[in-house]
Amino acid sequence: MKPQPSTGKTADPTVYIIDDDRSVRAALEDLLASVSLRAKSFASVQDFLAFDLPGAPACLVLDVRMPGQSGMDFLEHMTEYGLYLPTVMITGHGDIAMGVKAMKDGAIEFLTKPFRDQDLLDAVHRGIEADRTRRLREAANADVARRWASLSSGEKDVARLVATGLLNKQIAADLGVSEITVKVRRGHLMRKMNTRTLADLIRLLDRIQPT
Amino acid sequence: MTNSAKFKLERRLVLTIVLLPVAMVVIFVGDTVTDYAIAAAVFYTPVILVATRLLPAGTVVALAFACVALTLLSFALTHSGAYEVGIVNTGISIVAIGVTTYLSLKLVAAEAAAHESRERLLRMARITSLGELTASIAHEVNQPLAAIATSAGACRRWLAQEPPAIANAQRAADRIVEDANRASAVIARVRGLASGKAPHRERFDFNALVREVVALAGERGERSGITVRLSLQHDLPAILADRVQVGQVVGNLLLNAVEAIEAKTGGAKTLEIVSETEDRNRIRFSVIDSGVGFRQGELEHLFDAFWTTKKDGVGLGLTISRSIIEANGGRIWAETGRDGGAIARFSLPAGIGAIE
Repeated sequence: MKPQPSTGKTADPTVYIIDDDRSVRAALEDLLASVSLRAKSFASVQDFLAFDLPGAPACLVLDVRMPGQSGMDFLEHMTEYGLYLPTVMITGHGDIAMGVKAMKDGAIEFLTKPFRDQDLLDAVHRGIEADRTRRLREAANADVARRWASLSSGEKDVARLVATGLLNKQIAADLGVSEITVKVRRGHLMRKMNTRTLADLIRLLDRIQPT
Repeated sequence: MTNSAKFKLERRLVLTIVLLPVAMVVIFVGDTVTDYAIAAAVFYTPVILVATRLLPAGTVVALAFACVALTLLSFALTHSGAYEVGIVNTGISIVAIGVTTYLSLKLVAAEAAAHESRERLLRMARITSLGELTASIAHEVNQPLAAIATSAGACRRWLAQEPPAIANAQRAADRIVEDANRASAVIARVRGLASGKAPHRERFDFNALVREVVALAGERGERSGITVRLSLQHDLPAILADRVQVGQVVGNLLLNAVEAIEAKTGGAKTLEIVSETEDRNRIRFSVIDSGVGFRQGELEHLFDAFWTTKKDGVGLGLTISRSIIEANGGRIWAETGRDGGAIARFSLPAGIGAIE
């Protein structure tokens, strides 16, 4: 199978920055620009939510303490907004408890200001990679699901039984059809699912867990 | 304390002060007319008990001596009954009066001590918010430091490019200088706060200072969609004060106003900033906002240390503002505006003559 080219590789990755301090925003944008990363910054969570996110791989750099909704609070509720951005937390005064909470809530890194620029860039690169992988996987899963949906119900029956390791003869007996029919359906479904070997087929079916 | 409560307390005090001697006289008469066998003088003890609740310790002791004197006088005047019984009863009464006085005064002292330690505990609790204060200072300083470190990283990377991106590196360096100045301004502010050093007074154009601070705070106000109206009297006399400190107070008042406006949903969002002469040798500055205003009872606590209505506030902004304004020979106060918003004002002495 091939990944959909539109979701990931070609679109430029973007780093989103949410920090209420103008200097920090400017410095971060410039640092990311110096390593040719596109950045877009926001002064508050509210501003960020008002922005329409494009479907490119991304990473979020989020300040903990801000007027309005705090970064900590936003991180905790991000999935409720349908956002799955890898997040690097930055804070002016962090403690261990805060760091633990951030990591539990899914942050990929927790940095205390002032942080080493390399640490931030490393974390951001990791975040973008993770997001790219997630997007590719999601796209691939969607592709498999689409192929699965294109099978006829007879082909789906055969596919499920093939995956359990039954022979054509046994499948024919199970479904009450001729062995020739099973062979024909099997050929169709392998072509439609774009797989050559039984092992590939099983792997694909695992991914979408057809019922 | 409200007026009615004060009145009630006064009435009770007057009543008691009148009633106590009356009771003493009644007991004295009773003690005198009854014979020796009846120790009526013991009834002086409730009088002492009531007195300790209301009167200072010295007065209570005097009252106890008066009771003892009256008991002895009764004993001298009474002639009916067995003399020995009289002596014993009088002795018992005097001891009762003495013991009661001693114990009740001790009780009052113990209660006062308990009250004081409770107060001290409360003060301690407030001092722990000093931890919050340092956290807040750390945040203030770390913000520019983070920007500096990040800009320095960017600068190095621009220079490492082939060919080096000089213009970009230069911009990053400029930002570093700016942020370093900002950090040192924070430190200076904290130090000034901690050392409580005398203000450095100079004559300066107050309106110019206000414009500078408004320009600094402008971004925040703009973001919140606030309409800022400046009405600065153009021939305002120069003032004689510490320019940096007064600037801090102006900034603090503006920030409070912006936050109060942000906290309100709906309605007009206006911020009016006024400077004017109060009389011939004082100027007055006012910040009038359309924000949430004050709840009942808030006005009187506004300038208290560690008193705040903000969720993340430390409660020192206005306290420091007041100490600054007073150290510069001025006065600061707050009022409720016509539309329910807040008005914060201060006045400062003018140096003579307008700045051209």
